[in-house]
Amino acid sequence: MPLKHTQWITALIAVLLTLPVIIGLIGTLLPAFQFFPPLGEYQFSTAPWRNVFAQGEFYSSLKLTLITGIGGPLLSLWLALSLLAWGYERPFFRKIETLLSPILAVPHAAIAIGLLFLLSPSGWLVRIFSPWLTGFDRPPNWITVQDPFGLSLIFALIIKEMPYLLFVMLAAMKSIKARENIQACQALGYSRFTLWRKVLIPQLYPIIRLPIFIVVAFSLTVVDLALVIGPNTPSTLAVTLYRWFNDPDLSMRFMASAGATFLMVTIVLVLGGWEIAHRAFSAFTRCERSDGKRKGITDILLGAGVVFGLVTLLNAFAALALLPIWSLAKRWRFPDALPSTWTWDNIERATPLLIELTSNTLLIAFSATLIACAASLFMLETKRQSMAKSNKASQQHAFDWLIYVPILLPQIGFLFGLHVLLIYLNLNGSICAIIALHLMYVLPYVYLTLKGPYLAYNENYLLQANRLNNRPWRHYFIIKIAMLKPALFTAFAMGFSVSIAQYLPTLIAGEGRHSTLTTEAIAQAASGDRKQVGSMALLQALFPVIVFWLAQIIPTRWTKWRLAMKNFFQKG
Amino acid sequence: MLSVKGFTLSSTDKTLIRDLSFDIADGQVLSIMGPSGIGKSSLLHFLSGTLSHSLTATGEAFLNDDALHTKPTEARKVGLLQQMPLLFPHMSIIENLLFAIPADVTKETRRELIRNALEKLGMSDKANAMPKELSGGQQARVALLRTLLAKPDYLLLDEPFSKLDPALRRDVRAFVLAEIRQANIPALLVTHDSEDAKAMAGKCLEIDAAK
Repeated sequence: MPLKHTQWITALIAVLLTLPVIIGLIGTLLPAFQFFPPLGEYQFSTAPWRNVFAQGEFYSSLKLTLITGIGGPLLSLWLALSLLAWGYERPFFRKIETLLSPILAVPHAAIAIGLLFLLSPSGWLVRIFSPWLTGFDRPPNWITVQDPFGLSLIFALIIKEMPYLLFVMLAAMKSIKARENIQACQALGYSRFTLWRKVLIPQLYPIIRLPIFIVVAFSLTVVDLALVIGPNTPSTLAVTLYRWFNDPDLSMRFMASAGATFLMVTIVLVLGGWEIAHRAFSAFTRCERSDGKRKGITDILLGAGVVFGLVTLLNAFAALALLPIWSLAKRWRFPDALPSTWTWDNIERATPLLIELTSNTLLIAFSATLIACAASLFMLETKRQSMAKSNKASQQHAFDWLIYVPILLPQIGFLFGLHVLLIYLNLNGSICAIIALHLMYVLPYVYLTLKGPYLAYNENYLLQANRLNNRPWRHYFIIKIAMLKPALFTAFAMGFSVSIAQYLPTLIAGEGRHSTLTTEAIAQAASGDRKQVGSMALLQALFPVIVFWLAQIIPTRWTKWRLAMKNFFQKG
Repeated sequence: MLSVKGFTLSSTDKTLIRDLSFDIADGQVLSIMGPSGIGKSSLLHFLSGTLSHSLTATGEAFLNDDALHTKPTEARKVGLLQQMPLLFPHMSIIENLLFAIPADVTKETRRELIRNALEKLGMSDKANAMPKELSGGQQARVALLRTLLAKPDYLLLDEPFSKLDPALRRDVRAFVLAEIRQANIPALLVTHDSEDAKAMAGKCLEIDAAK
């Protein structure tokens, strides 16, 4: 891109990236100390904090948040490492790898709803064992999903996070020369799990530290998953805060803001503790690594992780498979494993609603993702030019860490603060505001997906094109962008699926006036009309999968189709 | 005629080439040989106007007494051929060739030019093939013809034969020399292979590390 004034563009984009977050944080911090001009409060006070700490609900919520927010990532990490150690570079594992991408693409609310259908007392798991094994001819009086300990929430978190960590690890394996390490250790007679434990995992962990931190921060603050499958009364802290923020009694906002500030401090403390625990653990296991034993009793830990990991994957697919079954079911009485009669009526009845939800969802997702793609190209081009000027291959650019800010900060921490700004700008409730908030979350993923391929592009192609006939802007598109098509399509699919999954940004910016498949599915998940919820969750899951699939097949066939069309029109 | 006068190249800490001067007549190829890292490619970048910021070059370059070194790269009408053929992988051979023809050429002339080019290449049947379907030698020839179709005023060759099979090199060299003679423009070849220089049947300058 023949851009000029790249420094100004860099500064402008950096401001656009950080400003909303800063304003959002201020909009949360000030009310936490009772300062909130819109409600006529101009006096600083610690009353909100005293109120929070006086609430019994706060402590039980915090406990649940810590259990699920630490337990989920810890178990996900264990299962992902086990699966990787077990299957890496084995032929059958390739098939499992290809299975990961649909799970990654599907919004977590859809998976949570599928899990609800699978695990609830009247769910599919109980059905297939009833009545022949359990003797139940009506749903048992158990509490399985939304259990008070948050176990089902932890399970849902694992289903979402384990594939993500596995995906990140697979990408990181190349940079630690895993194959050579494995061969060297196997030649020394080390068993597979032991060599992973002693040699590969210690090398792998530092590379995937940031993705793990993102997963931990997400688990501690997730709202939509916890609303669907998490415990209620008490719920996790993020959900409790969400309820306080939405309370008709506006003075609850002060307490909610203080709680949100506390939650952000909690994240920092948990991440700090996580890092200290990792250091202590690796210091503790250091001497064990060089004790020369080729096999160890702790290998069982990884072996067990494989079993649990596979069971988890199986559950994820069963949960997804239940979505279409429920949306097509007419009569499905309790112990039956499948509906006794099928029908399109559910979908037909819901069609007007589904069309409205779908068009909102797609409009928001397409706009946000297209803007994010354009912005990412701008940002990467300025980064490339500054790299070319300084002649350094690995120069750290402001974008490289700024981009993580929206992903690492909890949505509950600053979105309500940002909402105040939207009200001032008179943008609250508009579809533009929703797109803008989605952009904050879509942009980082698009940027990070595009970064590697864009910076690796051989600029000589573009230079040669401009030497042959000098039209820099045109050639930027028909040569460089055209050659980067596969990466652009993948980045688009990534951003698209992120946008589809957004719950809080849609609700807060749209003030409930513009529903999407995600907000409506979550709102109705608890209502019990499984047939309708199933249809919504199904569509919600379907679009990202279709877009990812198209992103795989279109770029590779594009040129063939283009030439075929050209030949057709020339002859015709 | 391409003339270079008093070309001196230095990096931050040392002088690489000192006071190099030469003339190249139309249709002739001058070969420059020397060990790698000496700054041969930087001479080409100086002539094409894309010298990296970390190097400083002084000296003058003229094309038929018209100063080159003061012009920006896009105004120089330079053709450059590198180790990689850099055929655009998402365009067919005929599209790659058409890409180079200036936009003001009429449609009939374009068609004529392309037919000639494909005939010279002996690839009339491969007009719609993709670059990756061609052999390395074929790609090198297409790249040369593509460069010449843009009607450059002078041609720079940066080791264009080094990635080719030894068996192919002779053919491609002969093809390149014949095309340069026909286009009747000055060409500068940079190489570390003395066979390349010999095959170009022109003068050869050897440069050593500057003292």
